[in-house]
Amino acid sequence: MKFTLDWLNQYVDTEGLTAEQLADHLTMLGLEVDAVLPLFQDLADLKTARITTAVPHPEADRLTLCQVAVGTETLQIVCGAPNARAGLATVVALPGTILPGNVKIKKSKVRGVESCGMLCSERELGLSDSHSGIMELPEDTEHGQSFIKAMGLEDTLIEVDLTPNRADCASVIGIAREIAGKIHRPLRLPVQNAQVAQTSRAFTVDVESSELCPRYAARLITDIKIGPSPLWLRNRLSVIGLRSINNVVDITNFVMMEYGQPLHAFDFDNLENGRILVRAPRAEETTFTTLDGMERQLTPDMLLICDGKRPVALAGIMGGMNSEVTETTTTVLLESACFNSVSIRKTARRLNLATDASYRFERGVDPEGVCNAMDRAVQLFCEFAGGKAEENGVDVYGGKLPLKSLTLRVSRTSDLLGISLSAEEIQELLESIGIRVKQKDGDTLWVNPPSFRMDIEREADLVEEIARLYGYNNIPVSLPEVHLSYPEQDSSRLKRAEIRRFLTGIGFSEAINYSFSNEKYIDLLCLSANDKRRKVVRLLNPLSEDQAVMRTLLLPGLLENVNRNIRFQKTAVKLFEIGKVFQPTKEGQQPEEITRIAGVLCGNRHGYSPILHFREEDVDVLDAKGAVEFILRQMRLVLDIDTDSLRFHQPTDDEIEPFAVVGQALDLKQGDTLLGSLGKIRADVLRGFGIKHDVYYFDLQLDLLCTMKASPKAFSALPVYPAVKRDIALIVPMGVAAGDMVQAIRRSGDALIEDVSLFDVYQGKNIKNGCKSVALSITYRSATKTLTEKNVEKSNTKLVSLLTEKFGAHLRDA
Amino acid sequence: MELELQSLEREARQLLETLSDSHGLEEFRIRYLGRKGQFSTILRKLGTVSEEDRPRLGLLANSLKENIERLFTERLTEIQSSSGANEKSAISLDLTLPGRIMETGRLHPVTQIMQEVCAIFENLGFSVAEGPDVEQDYYNFEALNIPAHHPARDMHDTFYVSDSILLRTHTSPMQARIMETRQPPLRVIAPGKVYRCDSDITHTPMFHQVEGFLVDKHVSFADLKGVLTVFTQKMFEQELPLRFRPSFFPFTEPSAEVDIACVICGGSGCRVCKKSGWLEILGSGMIDPEVFRMVGYDPEVYSGFAFGLGIERIAMLKYGIDDIRLYYENDQRFLSQF
Repeated sequence: MKFTLDWLNQYVDTEGLTAEQLADHLTMLGLEVDAVLPLFQDLADLKTARITTAVPHPEADRLTLCQVAVGTETLQIVCGAPNARAGLATVVALPGTILPGNVKIKKSKVRGVESCGMLCSERELGLSDSHSGIMELPEDTEHGQSFIKAMGLEDTLIEVDLTPNRADCASVIGIAREIAGKIHRPLRLPVQNAQVAQTSRAFTVDVESSELCPRYAARLITDIKIGPSPLWLRNRLSVIGLRSINNVVDITNFVMMEYGQPLHAFDFDNLENGRILVRAPRAEETTFTTLDGMERQLTPDMLLICDGKRPVALAGIMGGMNSEVTETTTTVLLESACFNSVSIRKTARRLNLATDASYRFERGVDPEGVCNAMDRAVQLFCEFAGGKAEENGVDVYGGKLPLKSLTLRVSRTSDLLGISLSAEEIQELLESIGIRVKQKDGDTLWVNPPSFRMDIEREADLVEEIARLYGYNNIPVSLPEVHLSYPEQDSSRLKRAEIRRFLTGIGFSEAINYSFSNEKYIDLLCLSANDKRRKVVRLLNPLSEDQAVMRTLLLPGLLENVNRNIRFQKTAVKLFEIGKVFQPTKEGQQPEEITRIAGVLCGNRHGYSPILHFREEDVDVLDAKGAVEFILRQMRLVLDIDTDSLRFHQPTDDEIEPFAVVGQALDLKQGDTLLGSLGKIRADVLRGFGIKHDVYYFDLQLDLLCTMKASPKAFSALPVYPAVKRDIALIVPMGVAAGDMVQAIRRSGDALIEDVSLFDVYQGKNIKNGCKSVALSITYRSATKTLTEKNVEKSNTKLVSLLTEKFGAHLRDA
Repeated sequence: MELELQSLEREARQLLETLSDSHGLEEFRIRYLGRKGQFSTILRKLGTVSEEDRPRLGLLANSLKENIERLFTERLTEIQSSSGANEKSAISLDLTLPGRIMETGRLHPVTQIMQEVCAIFENLGFSVAEGPDVEQDYYNFEALNIPAHHPARDMHDTFYVSDSILLRTHTSPMQARIMETRQPPLRVIAPGKVYRCDSDITHTPMFHQVEGFLVDKHVSFADLKGVLTVFTQKMFEQELPLRFRPSFFPFTEPSAEVDIACVICGGSGCRVCKKSGWLEILGSGMIDPEVFRMVGYDPEVYSGFAFGLGIERIAMLKYGIDDIRLYYENDQRFLSQF
């Protein structure tokens, strides 16, 4: 909602308040001011002037040589306008002035004659499109004054961001009412308590449904002379962004802004049978051309204004081409009506047609205000469009509502607000904005909100009004008295928070990507046709293809992030994301939301650690595996090799993620449940994301991991006796997995083996082809004694023969 | 044996004089004084001497060993106290070199602010609840007193999945979800992602909110002001001027928007605060009786307040981030700043 300070002043005297103070009042009343803009600042340097003499230019027929009085000065100015004549009051741009469009006025010579400035047309000042001559100011205009001051253009635009509940403030008078209440000054209304003298014999009005059209009033104005509006009116409209059309249309728009009541003027001569019928479209009426020239599709639930034969307006939204006011119009039927807000909203939505009228009807227009606005417009038609109003009119008011009557408890108000108010104080506050209050007893008030406050329907609404008028900032600050209770927290959320923190500790930064994604990524990742991640939740109204479906994987977002980082020369990337993916369920139901954790690794393993200490080397698949092992360890989930335990599993060609490199990928499983995977991403997949570097990933179903039982923390006594270490190097066939050897040793059943670790895996020189050397370090310890050489040797020998038997291993030295 | 003992003692004493570093001393200790050292070896042989000599020799052996131990300790102290000075001159280390530490990653700034916000309310006894991103129209709108065709729906540019399913436009649906299943008193916050079809320099189609609400008997608007004042002051770590301004949300009444004095200009007016000197940071209000009625709470018995705040906005204000799109590009040059 936009208006100007000067406009507001017509209805309430704001003398003594600056625009900023006023804006502050409005904001604190809940009418948030978005902008306060002084107007016409670009015309501030212009002066009023009077042409004292005007003679033809000696060298040019079309030019006039003017002597121009500007205050105490008289200047010679060459002017090309046909209306430049002696005695004319006009506007001058003196040298140095910058006109709209960044035109700088300079002293110059025109055909050999000096010209000290420029006399301006309305178009040159950006006031209108008129360029037929220089501006003609009222004859009594004194010269030498500031132009914008003299013309009453000096003003400030205020823009309020209206909340949907305050329909009454979608009007300058509505805003003025709030200010008047705030600063305790009277509200000045151009028209009030108007009524229609019934009943015109020139036309009839019928309303099919008073539910859809609670009130329809109309009056006839004859002898209309269509023409341009006076400057003040054009100006009022242009500063709030409305284009001037002609005097009649401008007046309806002006009164709509003034009273908040949309009006429509029909060319009466184009209405068949002098009849208005408010009704739904008939079956055969499928289209209607609105006055913007667009053909609109009609549906049976819409509402039309029709004449004796055909639709002439889309009720409450826009008039029709067939009955609009034109230059030849002489008789106007003025409509001032009230339509059902839901119906208007549905139609405006369906047609994607939002107008100033629909905006107001959607929020609610006061049926009681219909006649005031109509009479005001009639007055202005008579004054500025030469009109003569027919005394009688028509007012069909089938939807009159009873006066609202509410009960308000003083104690309840005080309790809810945390202040102590008396009945008298409450009464005074409410009455300041026109709400009628009567005391019933000490604690109860009877309240009648005015009809224009359609938002006040309940006691709670009154409490809000009281708080608003009392001033939120005058309400004290306290802390609630509550019963102590322990806030139970969701353990998965806490686990997620821990994992985030731990992962940053090993060099991963956290990414957050959009939950929606581009469906093409599913193809880029080569998912098979029956992969369930191809089933997506689709948005009906996405902003773009890139955000058209809810993601089913985290990986695409992270790969986009890798691409971006590489583009900006950050080639060492370690990112992870914890977030939801979405799997559709049944039609019309919410999808399943699954929380996953995924990570990507690329480039230098040590990230941006000092190269001096950490030699640069690229990550490989074991870095991704390490990250997963780390996450599991932090969650105290134990990896093992039995099929029913949590384990890594090398996927078969059928099982492998289609975007992973065969032989460089692992699945994380428990039983048959796939909990996640890790590996190297295929180069061709990466190319699709614009990445030329090697990228490794991991991707786990975090919500399942969070529900798995963590191994409890339990103390075991520290060993008393010393450990003995034995290193052995074994030659095994290439196909033997070192991890299996380690597991075999752990499970050998020898109680003396405390720990085993791999310290070297080597193939090449000195090792037989098809074989590799696996070096293991085994820690022996007894809980009951110091081990002798003999004890250790016995265990070690047994161990080597176990490995020989199981894996075809033999000692490297042997 | 007596001779053997005495010569061992002499040998050890002389050797000790020549030792000058801790390494040599350690070897000495093992050779003579350790469990398998020479003194121990001799002492173990005591069992083989005659019973009459045993006490005397035992005494002698122990006293000689103690003597060596004493001299050893003295020598050790001597060497240790002089070694500090020696090392300084021996090795020249450039201490301007960077410390040897692996670079760590960072949490996303949105996560950091989210955790800060949650921690403040958790300390006030609020529990944390999370809900679905893809929500039913009912919880996102209807249950919050926003019926179909209400102009308040214009305040939410909604992404739809179907007629009745949408991406939640705020975290407020959690009010209805929690209240439906639990009885007052309640103190809950609900953080999460929300979605609006809107995208420019100050809007991304996805962002993060934290919803909070408290329901009990005798909760007042003054309490709402109190809790949010505490929150704001903890969040911005200073006594910032605060202003509560009437506003409108269909699910609260009275509704209030909370502004803090602009953290950029301190209230004198700048580009960030649009010259108003104030920054809007959260929306709040007393829970509307209609919302209570829909979940079966008696609004005559219970009252409460609710609030919601945008995480990205708070991060922008706290860290001076000027383009909201940076949050979702996950540029490591951005992430590493927080």
